[in-house]
Amino acid sequence: MDYEGPLIKNGKRVDGRAFDDLRQISIKAHVINEADGSAYIKWGNNKILVGVYGPKECLPKHIADPHKAVVRARYNMAPFAGKEGHGRSGPSRRSIEISKVVSDTFQNVILAEQFPRTMIEIFIDVLQSDGGTRCAAVTAASVALADAGIPMKDMVSAVAGGIIEDTLVLDLNYIEDSQGNADLAMAFTHRNKDVLLLQMEGDLPIDKFKELLKMGMDSTEYLYKIQKEALEEGYKNKPTESVVLDL
Amino acid sequence: MNDEIKLPGDVLYDKPVQMPYGYIENGKTYTTVLGIKRKRLIPLKGPYDPKPGDLIIGVVSDVRFSGYNIFVNMPYDVSISSRGIRFDLDYNDIITAKISHVDEVKNITIDDVRRLRKGIVIKVPPVKVPRILGRNNSMISLIKDKTGCDIVVGNNGLVWISFHGNVELAVESIGKVVKEAHIPGLTNRMEQYLNKKKVN
Repeated sequence: MDYEGPLIKNGKRVDGRAFDDLRQISIKAHVINEADGSAYIKWGNNKILVGVYGPKECLPKHIADPHKAVVRARYNMAPFAGKEGHGRSGPSRRSIEISKVVSDTFQNVILAEQFPRTMIEIFIDVLQSDGGTRCAAVTAASVALADAGIPMKDMVSAVAGGIIEDTLVLDLNYIEDSQGNADLAMAFTHRNKDVLLLQMEGDLPIDKFKELLKMGMDSTEYLYKIQKEALEEGYKNKPTESVVLDL
Repeated sequence: MNDEIKLPGDVLYDKPVQMPYGYIENGKTYTTVLGIKRKRLIPLKGPYDPKPGDLIIGVVSDVRFSGYNIFVNMPYDVSISSRGIRFDLDYNDIITAKISHVDEVKNITIDDVRRLRKGIVIKVPPVKVPRILGRNNSMISLIKDKTGCDIVVGNNGLVWISFHGNVELAVESIGKVVKEAHIPGLTNRMEQYLNKKKVN
């Protein structure tokens, strides 16, 4: 069902948020036993599971780099995940693109030189989607990587921004995303606010763009706090286990 | 207790300090892994970082014409030549070895290869190995004493336990050490736990 009606009513958005409010976010670290690191994020109605494996043998061998580890992300949306054409399993143009940008995001923060010839894999599975899944996925993947003990320069968090009815807003949901005028996905490191991911769609004048980027940067503190809580909680409640090898 | 959990990117020192799990930027030292700050940064998790001189445990994963491939809990198996050792190995045989050299792409060469008797191998996080050994090997001798097992702990996160003795208790107690590694007073707690189990 398509939403019909104003995107902004009485200074509030369709779901009652203020313009720079993020949706309710909660992250759980260390949710998959077999993975080296994992995280589960609930970002509004988005539900995403991230598993990290590695450093491990680089396959296919021809992509191995003798100088550093290759970071490979695989974004996949479950067939039951969302509205319309998004929920088709298997690689699509969209999921290949998101896999690539997430890989590049983390290739820049992971200290990959410490693990030459290896591969670090990030598996992102969207179980339920409601707009802004790539940003939620990056935020959760950062937690999963930290949970795996993979050395990184910094934590990464991401948020989307956009314009709806000529107003700048943060964290668009599906309705705002599909009916708004512009959409900007951004990922930052926590400490230096380095921009690791920046994707724009729609009409966004340069001054509005700068303002939106600033709004995105300001939200990293909030996201970092949630990530930190998740990692502390994950460590206390689910300590690492030893495994008997099957010989 | 000043157990402060550090996340990647947290400030560790306001001056540049060369240290494991540290990252220096603009004259400051930052954490790179999830860890607890005590005298140094103790990582909570992470892959094995091979160093020359480390004692490792391996499992034969392939027998070739002129040598063997050994699984050592690292991204790549290590191959050894059968000319370097004086005995034959079989698939799934367990060995210990010393790392003699680590090159710039983390290829390792091993020597001093010895075969271990049949036993079980458990996989533990490599960052917990110092805790399993204890100060001056106190923890591992305690477990060996109380269970009657022979135990060899490899720096690579593989632990071999011989079949004679109370194997189940040995596996359990190593699991307990791994689980509670970050809680102080571990040796005393383990001693009580093992004494209680031994009576039953």
